[in-house]
Amino acid sequence: MCANCGFPAAQGHWTDAGAGSAFDRIRGRLQRARILAPVLASYGLTVHDDGSGSGFILANRTGHQVMVNTLSELWEAAERIIGRPVDPLDPRFVDEAPTP
Amino acid sequence: MTSDPREGRMRLTILGGFLGSGKSTWLRHHLHHGLLGDALVVVNEAAIAPVDDALLIGSTRLRVLAGGCACCETRAALVTLLRDICDDRVGGDVSARRIDHIVLETSGLADPGRIVDAIATDPVLQHHIVVGEIIVTVDALHGLAQIRDEDLERRQIETADRLVVTKVDTAEPEPLRRLIATLGILNPGATLSGSVMGSPTDLPDSSGIESETLSTAGGSGTLAPIGAAALDLGNTPDWPALTVWLSALIHARGDDIVRIKGIVQTPRGRILLQSVRKVVQSPEILSDKPVAADNRDGLLVLIGRRFTAGELVRSLSAFGIGGAVAIEAGAASAKARRPSHGDG
Repeated sequence: MCANCGFPAAQGHWTDAGAGSAFDRIRGRLQRARILAPVLASYGLTVHDDGSGSGFILANRTGHQVMVNTLSELWEAAERIIGRPVDPLDPRFVDEAPTP
Repeated sequence: MTSDPREGRMRLTILGGFLGSGKSTWLRHHLHHGLLGDALVVVNEAAIAPVDDALLIGSTRLRVLAGGCACCETRAALVTLLRDICDDRVGGDVSARRIDHIVLETSGLADPGRIVDAIATDPVLQHHIVVGEIIVTVDALHGLAQIRDEDLERRQIETADRLVVTKVDTAEPEPLRRLIATLGILNPGATLSGSVMGSPTDLPDSSGIESETLSTAGGSGTLAPIGAAALDLGNTPDWPALTVWLSALIHARGDDIVRIKGIVQTPRGRILLQSVRKVVQSPEILSDKPVAADNRDGLLVLIGRRFTAGELVRSLSAFGIGGAVAIEAGAASAKARRPSHGDG
C-alpha cells in the first residue's frame, strides 16, 4: 500500500480495532459476551468468554461446544449449529415492542 | 485525449465505479501525489451525510454534493454547482487560481453516462465544460459478482474510457484473470490498469481466459432497488456492542448490504470503518481532528437492499446500542431515498 497518503490500518481482526489498551480489550470482550448472551439465547445458544482465553466458547443445549477466535467465526459457527444466520434484522430484534 | 479542441473550456474527469470499489482511495492517492495537478475536486455521495470527504483531507479545493446521486436525484444540484464554478471562473476573483480541471467523484450508484448527458444538454455547461475522461474503478474481488448481478455495474463499465481494477492484491489469480477477460468483452475500447491502495500495479495476462457468461437480458430485473440509510450513533457509541451488531449484520446480510461506511470514536481514537458486502477493510485510524463539522463522528452509512433505517435503529437497540437516530430529510425513509435508475 501507499504509506504516504493512507491512514494507518489497525492490526488484527477488525472488531478489535477500537481497543486502545489491554484493559480496553478485556473490558471489550466481557462487554461483548454480555451483549451476545441474550441474542444467542433467543436461538438456544450460550456463549462464554472468561477474558483469559483467546476467544469465545459457543454451546447449544445438548452440550455441543465450539471454540471460536473472532466475532466473524462466532457467527459462522452459530449459523452451522442453527442452520441459518443470526440476523440482526430478524423480526425478533426489529419488531416494535408489543404494547400491553 | 490531451489534444485541445476545448477552446478554453474546463476539462472534467469523471471518476465512477460501484459502491466500495475504491474510488476515494484511488482519488486520495492521486491527489496526495499531485497526479491530478491543481484540479478542483467535487465529491458526490448518495447518503445525506457525507463520509468520503473525510478521506480527502489532502485536497485543497474540495466541494461536496451530498444527499443524493448526481445522475438522478441531485442532478439539478450538480448542474447548479458546476454553473457556480463556471461563474466563479469567468467573473470571479482574478487573483484566485484559475480552475482548468474538475474531478468529479460520483456516488457508487451513479451512471456516468447520465452525468455526461446532464452536462452536454445544459445550455450553460456545454460551453464551459468538456468531459475529458471517464475513469471507472472495478473491485478485483467483487467485480465479477457485481457484473453478474448489477445492471448498473455493467453500465458504469461500458461508459469508461479507463478501467482501474482496484484491490488487485485481494483477488485470486484465476478469478482476477476472468474479471479482466470479462472487462475486455464489456468494454474493449477502455484502457485497463491495476491498482492497490491507489498505486498502479500490473495486471496478469488474461489472453486465452474465458470471460464470464453474460446474460443478454441484463439479468437484474428482479433485484430490489438499492437504498441508503444514514444513522447517527452519538458521539461515543459502545464499540464492543457495535462490533457485535455489525459483524452479525455483515455475516447475515452481507449480500444485501453492499456498502457500509462510518466514522466512530473508540478508546483507540477515531476509526474509519468500511465494508463491501462481506469484506470489512482493516479500519483506518484517523487523525483526532474532524475534517469539518464534528457531527461526522458516530455517523454510519449503510447502502443496500431490504432494510429500512427504522429497522436498523430498532435492531441496534436490541443489541444494546440505544440512542441511534436515523438521519433523514423530513419523512424520507431508506425506501424513499433510493435512486430511480435501477428500474430498467
